[in-house]
Amino acid sequence: MMDYMRSINRMLHDEHMATIALLERIESTLAAHRKAPPDAKAPDIAAVLRDLVASVEADISVHFAFEQDELFTRLSEAGDTGMTSILQEEHDVILPLGEQVSGLARTAIDSGFTEESWAEFRRLSAELVERMIAHIQKEEMGMLAALEEILDEDADMAVMMRYAELR
Amino acid sequence: MTLATTVLAGAKDRVLPPSIPFRYFGAAVLFHPGLWLLVLIDAPETVGFSGGTGLSLAALHILTLGVLATTAMGAALQLLPVATRQAMPAHWPARLGFWLMVPGTLMVGHGMATATGWAMALGGAMAATALAMLGVLIAINLMRARDLGLVAAHGQVAIFSLFALLVLGLLLVFNFAHGFLPDHRAVARAHVILAGYGFMGMLVAGFSQILVPMFALAASPDRTLGRAGLWLAVLALALGVAGALGGVNALVIAAIVAGLAATAAHLTAMARVMRKRMRKRLGLSFVMIRVAWVLLPLSLTIGLLDQLGLLGERGGTLFVFVLFAGWLLTMLLGVLQRILPFLATMHPAGDGGRMPTLSQLTAEGPLKVATICHLAALAVSTAGIATGQELVLRLGASVGLAGAIAFAVFAAPIFWRLMRRRSRASNPENQTSG
Repeated sequence: MMDYMRSINRMLHDEHMATIALLERIESTLAAHRKAPPDAKAPDIAAVLRDLVASVEADISVHFAFEQDELFTRLSEAGDTGMTSILQEEHDVILPLGEQVSGLARTAIDSGFTEESWAEFRRLSAELVERMIAHIQKEEMGMLAALEEILDEDADMAVMMRYAELR
Repeated sequence: MTLATTVLAGAKDRVLPPSIPFRYFGAAVLFHPGLWLLVLIDAPETVGFSGGTGLSLAALHILTLGVLATTAMGAALQLLPVATRQAMPAHWPARLGFWLMVPGTLMVGHGMATATGWAMALGGAMAATALAMLGVLIAINLMRARDLGLVAAHGQVAIFSLFALLVLGLLLVFNFAHGFLPDHRAVARAHVILAGYGFMGMLVAGFSQILVPMFALAASPDRTLGRAGLWLAVLALALGVAGALGGVNALVIAAIVAGLAATAAHLTAMARVMRKRMRKRLGLSFVMIRVAWVLLPLSLTIGLLDQLGLLGERGGTLFVFVLFAGWLLTMLLGVLQRILPFLATMHPAGDGGRMPTLSQLTAEGPLKVATICHLAALAVSTAGIATGQELVLRLGASVGLAGAIAFAVFAAPIFWRLMRRRSRASNPENQTSG
């Protein structure tokens, strides 16, 4: 991972850090409740579920949309079509998966987990964690490094402004 | 430039078809059981190995050429063409290199096992040609690199070491038949130093600057420590080779001390990366990588004790075993078990399905068996060599063989998936029918 010169990279990196921290919490929750479902009303479990819903419905969807509309375009124009097609393909898988997991988390917040819903939540959220971490690894080590090369100061400022508008 | 950047950011003309690097990785996976099988068969000779032809020397070269060098070739071919953002002029040298390297390694192994001069010479020439072609490809790529920094610097030292070790290796092979070298053992020691710490060691240290932060989601290693480690390693290599060739023990001891200092700088930089990593759960591959980080200074310490005459007649064998089967094999198996599924996920199956996850491509059971067996094999075999007990070494080699087979079972589905993809790509009708 690099020391980023561009403001947009520092901002995206901070969001990745926050997402990784949440993913680690989800992983720990899954590991701690391998057999029986946890009490969704317990404060620590409820907090993880709430943060998961907020992250998928607010942060990740905006983050992905911004990357697709503003950054992938610039990277493709710079010739990095291989990278953008892989990242786009991952977005296409992760976002619907995240929405599924978020839906299950919402239901659990309202009415708790059953054996079946916990098994489903475990399976899908484990896949979400794995795909998100691999995706962030690629963005951190690939996309942000490439953006450092192709964005000048003006372009950096322009995409920062656009991201601020979206958020 | 990072692994993900190199893999991801490469336009089509900068990324090699997966069949090229994966054929090298496949050869390494298949040579791996061969190493332990030869040690198992030849344990009585291996415990007291002191040079000369035989199965022990064949086993050593199956390991160095068949497993370590082929893995390095696959990794370098995958990463370097796009790390420099420079297209390779052609793919044929990489394909030809494979067809020289694999039969060459088998022939060298046969020649060494049976003391057949022509087989050693021909096989050695084929493997040397393959490695020299790789060296030229890497050198061209590094010359074109604009900002690869420490990675490029480590690569340049590795390439210089490669050409030096190839010259010495060919001299040794021809010396078995013609006996023209005044001191065969001195040249062999320099050859070992250049192969272990020069070529492979510097490649491992260079690629670690990229791979460890990427897997751990961490900041790049400290550049000051990296540069210090590099220059100390260059000093150690120069002193070690001069001391070995000239038969000056004091120089070899000074080289080992410099090598330990280089190791301290490298491992401190790696430890800082690990402390600041974002990803906490790193899996079995990092168990292997961490063990390898312990085995690197251990190999140098054993070398030092051997130079001081404190390890008896088996000190040299112990040093060579811990260097190649310990540090380098453990490190490369750790990296391979991570990089094989990672690279495979970059290539869609061609069946219209979505990209698999790493865990879908990682057979956890065989991988656990492979890891446990490899570490147990190292411990038991080291004890067998240290105590001169051939039965203990046989036990270690048996466990190592089981681990190598388990590793092949882990890797097989990944190769199968890529072969299926290749088959679909070459026959588009399958995409609709299957």
